[in-house]
Amino acid sequence: MWRFLAEAAAVFVKDLRSEFRTKVALNALGLFAVTTLAAVSYTIGPYRIAEADRPFLLSALLWIVIFFAAMAGLDRSFVKEEDTHTAPLLRLSADPLVVWAGKLVFNLVLLAVLMAILVPLYIVLMGFHVSSPLALFAVLMAGGYTLGVTTTMVAAIIARAMTRGALFSVLSLPLLLPLMIFLIQGTRAAAEGSPDGVTQTLRAVISLGGVMTVVSVILFPVVWHE
Amino acid sequence: MKRSIRVEFDELAKRFDLRVIFRGVSGRAEPGEVLVITGPNGSGKSTLVAMLCGLLRPTRGSIRYVDGDDGELSRDEWRSVLGVVAPSMGLYEELDAMENLRFFAKVRGVHDAESLCRDLLGRVGLDPGRKTPVGGYSTGMHQRLKIAQALLHDPPVLFLDEPGSNLDPTGQDWLEGMVLEQRERGTALVLATNDRREMEWGTRHVALSG
Repeated sequence: MWRFLAEAAAVFVKDLRSEFRTKVALNALGLFAVTTLAAVSYTIGPYRIAEADRPFLLSALLWIVIFFAAMAGLDRSFVKEEDTHTAPLLRLSADPLVVWAGKLVFNLVLLAVLMAILVPLYIVLMGFHVSSPLALFAVLMAGGYTLGVTTTMVAAIIARAMTRGALFSVLSLPLLLPLMIFLIQGTRAAAEGSPDGVTQTLRAVISLGGVMTVVSVILFPVVWHE
Repeated sequence: MKRSIRVEFDELAKRFDLRVIFRGVSGRAEPGEVLVITGPNGSGKSTLVAMLCGLLRPTRGSIRYVDGDDGELSRDEWRSVLGVVAPSMGLYEELDAMENLRFFAKVRGVHDAESLCRDLLGRVGLDPGRKTPVGGYSTGMHQRLKIAQALLHDPPVLFLDEPGSNLDPTGQDWLEGMVLEQRERGTALVLATNDRREMEWGTRHVALSG
């Protein structure tokens, strides 16, 4: 177990070091997030939505911004390995699950950084009143994990395809649609201060995350080697 | 003590869509021997090496890694006993040489990685203290680093696909010494080349017709 963790940490540190030096994924995620947030805040702003509609519409917009920003950069960790021809050597050197775990943690860290910057900005710019910040934090954490584990698996599948940019979004969308619906409901419940709604969402999202984790652990070694 | 592993392949064929790359290719690499694979450009030497490493599946035929003591290795076990140098395999350009070697040592579970990486870089003629990202290296320095990477875990099976390409005369002399040393230590070497000097190192030959 310790050996597995040490090897996965090596993959994560390598990806993080590469990313800090090239900033490809960070720039893609950040630029997309800021552009979408600016567009949404200028066109809709904090006052153009009726008070009663605010919790739902602002929750939906928040997750749309996070989703599209994630689509812009979370495939990079695998696509880059194929583009720079480092994938064959990685396949021959590391255990497939070590690669999966390292890259999953890297994507989760990217998502966490994105959310840490984006969500407070969104709350301020859109005047999003959240009755239960702790519940929102829990929804963001559970949602971020499930979004990360799903996109990591899809990125591994599309990395060797020719039209991978389009494929990443096309394959991710049907897998993430149920998650998005749950997350919008959960964020709305957090905004309205409804503990039952948040609990239901967390149950559903954590279950989805668990299913995607198990599916990834089973499928990834096959996808990685074939 | 290094494990004694031989690689056997029988009636291998590879086809990409309708194009047949090669067929009916058989041979074996024994511990302490050098199997040289030759053939004109496009005959499938690199494809055969990739197949023998487990990166590609053959369209037909079989590959076996046989441990002298414990019998046949499963495909999942091949990774731990082989080292590869190939033009199609890249290193991490934004990392320096030590960072590259340290990474491969860690994911392979190599102990005492720090001193081993420094020693290997010195042996292939690269400066372990140099902080330049590998992207700024010459092609010859790249090749030296790839060779160091392949030797990190002292593998009992070593695949060398055009290992002397881009090496200067000193590097080629060092490469010859390394191949001879590995032979003496019981490594099974597979060498894909068209270089006359490298072809002479072979103890067995497989010629692809193209």
